[in-house]
Amino acid sequence: MIFLGMSAGMVAALLGTTLVAVVFLYWLKPPPRRVVVPSTLLWDRLLKEKKRNTFLDRLRWLLSLLLALTIGLSVAAGVGRPELSSPSQDIRNIMVVIDNSATMATLTADGFTRWEHAVAHAGRFLRQGSASGKFLILDTSGQAPPGEPGDRRSALEVLTGLTVSLGGAPEFPDLPELDAEIFFISDGVMVDGAPPEATLISVFEPAHNVGITAFEIEALPSEPTRYHAFVQMKNASPVAKQVTLRLSGAVEGGIRDTLTLQADETQARFIDLSGFGRGPVRAVVTADADAFSADDYAYGFLPIRTQTRVALITPGSLYLENVLADEPRLSLEVIRPSQYNPSVSADVYIFDRFAPPQAPGGPSLLFLPPDAGWLSRTLDVVEVPEAPAWNPAHPVLRFVALEDLRIDRAARIGVPADRDAQASSAGEPGGGSVSEVVVGNRSLPLVLVSDQADRIVRVSFALEDSNFALQPGFPIFLANTLGWLMDEQVALARAPGRVEVPLPSAAVTDLEGNGVVAWPLSDRTVFQADQPGLYTVVAAGDRRLRVAVNLASVERSSVNDSGLASSEITAAGTTVLAGAEPGPSDELWIFLLLLALVLVVVEWVTYHRRVTV
Amino acid sequence: MSEKATLFDDEFLKKLEYLNLVSNHMIPGHMHGEHRAKKKTDSGIEFADYRQYVSGEDTKNVDWRTYLRLDKLILRLFEEDADLPIYIFFDASGSMDHGAPAKYDYARKIAAALCYVGLLNQDRVNLVGFADGIAHELSARRGKHQVWHAFRFLESAQPGGATSMEKAFKAFFSSRRRRGLVVVVSDFLDEEGFSRAFDMLRYFRQDLFAVHVYTTEEAHPDLPDEVLLEDAELGTSQRVRVTPALLEGYAEQFEEHCEEVGAYCRKNGWGYLRTTTDVPFEDLILQVFRQGRFLK
Repeated sequence: MIFLGMSAGMVAALLGTTLVAVVFLYWLKPPPRRVVVPSTLLWDRLLKEKKRNTFLDRLRWLLSLLLALTIGLSVAAGVGRPELSSPSQDIRNIMVVIDNSATMATLTADGFTRWEHAVAHAGRFLRQGSASGKFLILDTSGQAPPGEPGDRRSALEVLTGLTVSLGGAPEFPDLPELDAEIFFISDGVMVDGAPPEATLISVFEPAHNVGITAFEIEALPSEPTRYHAFVQMKNASPVAKQVTLRLSGAVEGGIRDTLTLQADETQARFIDLSGFGRGPVRAVVTADADAFSADDYAYGFLPIRTQTRVALITPGSLYLENVLADEPRLSLEVIRPSQYNPSVSADVYIFDRFAPPQAPGGPSLLFLPPDAGWLSRTLDVVEVPEAPAWNPAHPVLRFVALEDLRIDRAARIGVPADRDAQASSAGEPGGGSVSEVVVGNRSLPLVLVSDQADRIVRVSFALEDSNFALQPGFPIFLANTLGWLMDEQVALARAPGRVEVPLPSAAVTDLEGNGVVAWPLSDRTVFQADQPGLYTVVAAGDRRLRVAVNLASVERSSVNDSGLASSEITAAGTTVLAGAEPGPSDELWIFLLLLALVLVVVEWVTYHRRVTV
Repeated sequence: MSEKATLFDDEFLKKLEYLNLVSNHMIPGHMHGEHRAKKKTDSGIEFADYRQYVSGEDTKNVDWRTYLRLDKLILRLFEEDADLPIYIFFDASGSMDHGAPAKYDYARKIAAALCYVGLLNQDRVNLVGFADGIAHELSARRGKHQVWHAFRFLESAQPGGATSMEKAFKAFFSSRRRRGLVVVVSDFLDEEGFSRAFDMLRYFRQDLFAVHVYTTEEAHPDLPDEVLLEDAELGTSQRVRVTPALLEGYAEQFEEHCEEVGAYCRKNGWGYLRTTTDVPFEDLILQVFRQGRFLK
């Protein structure tokens, strides 16, 4: 017998204490009430006859004590959750590998999930082993702590701590060397590779599911200031489904669309988000009898502002003034350098061949600025530099081609020594470096971006000294730059699970503003996102990132893509039906509790009938 | 404890008057001092009967006319009035001072009532309170004027001590006493038993009327599970684990005890009445009268 609730020593101590307490209480009787009777003459006669029954009286007393002891010890032993070993079982050691990939969260017809059935099976298999055997619980997502097989209680504790993991790359774990019966409980959708000696238990049952398999908010290539949402939906059900797609954002109302998806059909929608304001966007698909909810919704972030105040300080630039004036979401104010003063207020400052002695109160775009205290010094002037290289992955250069860029002269500026100019994490905003050369190279940076509290994009040549303003990508460059300067980025797309963001020591909050536990990892921050959602990551200097954690996976939404039937012939020749309830528990506490209850009733009846004392 | 001040109050006296009237009606035509214990003797005024003369007898009552006519010696007998001695024994032991109302008060009321009727009937009435011997004694009285004396005696008699009827009867009847009616009002809870005491009465050829007094609680006690029973007379105690079976056994034991006393009396032609203190004492007295032993 083993005890699942506490150690055997503790159970023994508890039983001993209970025994002593019951016996003590039995001996500890209150003094009898004193009653004066006219004469004890008749009582004496009666009790003389009764003395012949002393043995019976003692027997009754002992019976009563025995009942009380049995009740007390039953309850005390039940607290320890004793369990009988199964002597008939020849299985000594048990290893259970349980599939906790995303599709295990699919509901079955009885209202439970595949995962809950799997846990029930696992518990049953653990109880099949002998009490002195070794037990090990492993999972396909690496949640179970690695270790050697232990006792049953430890394995059950591990089992109760496991959950379905929506993200990651589930795989069959490496098994330790142990002569044990191996059970693999799975729905057969995402994990295979079980060794042939493992007994496969299927918890698969066909289910209905319509899910979002892709969701992305992106700017229109032709018009970077406009955004649309790309939504891909899949009907993984065996029948056609009427699907309702709803997008909701910062404005009320949102967008609603209804479509019909045939069985196993995938459809995509591009949805214009012009009517949406800046903020989170939530996409939800609903369909009848949907058994898998984790892929029914997806999150994104729409970065665009409705109005951005731009102060253009220029001695006169038709290129800039015309392009910016055509942008409807900009509120442009053109200022001559002689009129500029630090009290000018704007969301973004564009300095054309001018730089104030003090940094402005916001992000800025500079074209060939003269030397100023807050800028790198100009080293010299390079005539007709060679065709530059550029980093198309950087947000300011998305959809911008510079093959035809010609520059007559450019200023050579120094890159700050503490600022690595390598675009080591191109494509990920705010990557490891603070300053980055996105056009040119380290010896001749033509466009240098600085990702600091107030972002700076510095172009080291004048538009008048190049054909940049005549390039088709110039308006896109301006739109990208304004967006990047305003921190207008779409959210990073990540899968549920462990999420890494390229910001050091950042704080993470979810959509409701609740803090999420995060820990620094070198120059990154890591947090666990078990559920889809939109997370905001804020680092020092108010550097901000948004992370959209979405299931958005065709593989995970295909809940019926299993190699298993709903009942599977196992390697051991035993048929295990999906959703089958586990057998009766071998735990004795319920029987002990019942015994105690029955004995309490017996004691009550016998006491009132004076059979016991 | 007995209610000394109010034991024989006006209400009680009214009931006694009522009982006296009732007793007169129960035996119509009886006269005080005449109806009792008439015996046929050779003295007296009223002729009663004849009987054969026995040699050696006084010849003064020989009916010579009959001798002349029949040639037989016949004696004329006359009725002689003889007052009936009534010995009223009331139990004054500690066991009687129990219950509500107390058995002792009830017993004294019975004794007082019987004494009252006896005195009004011109009988000689003795009042004896007994415990472990004679505890209180009022010597023979006769006549109505002795009623208050008897009542004062009864009121002043306090209970206490163990019970020994044998000792009491022995002490009382060892001096010369006339045959009469012995009324014993008691709970008969005597450690030595009642039979030897009753045998003594039989030896002295006394007529007995036993009134067995007890309380309902005494017959059917309601006790907790664990109890320390203390004897009111002896002061001894013992721990008893009370069960329904034990209570049942006690009730049977008590019934046996009562039956034993009653059976002994009936066997000897004596009167026996048992009563609880719940019964109004005047009802009990009427039952005594109905038995016909007290009123003749």
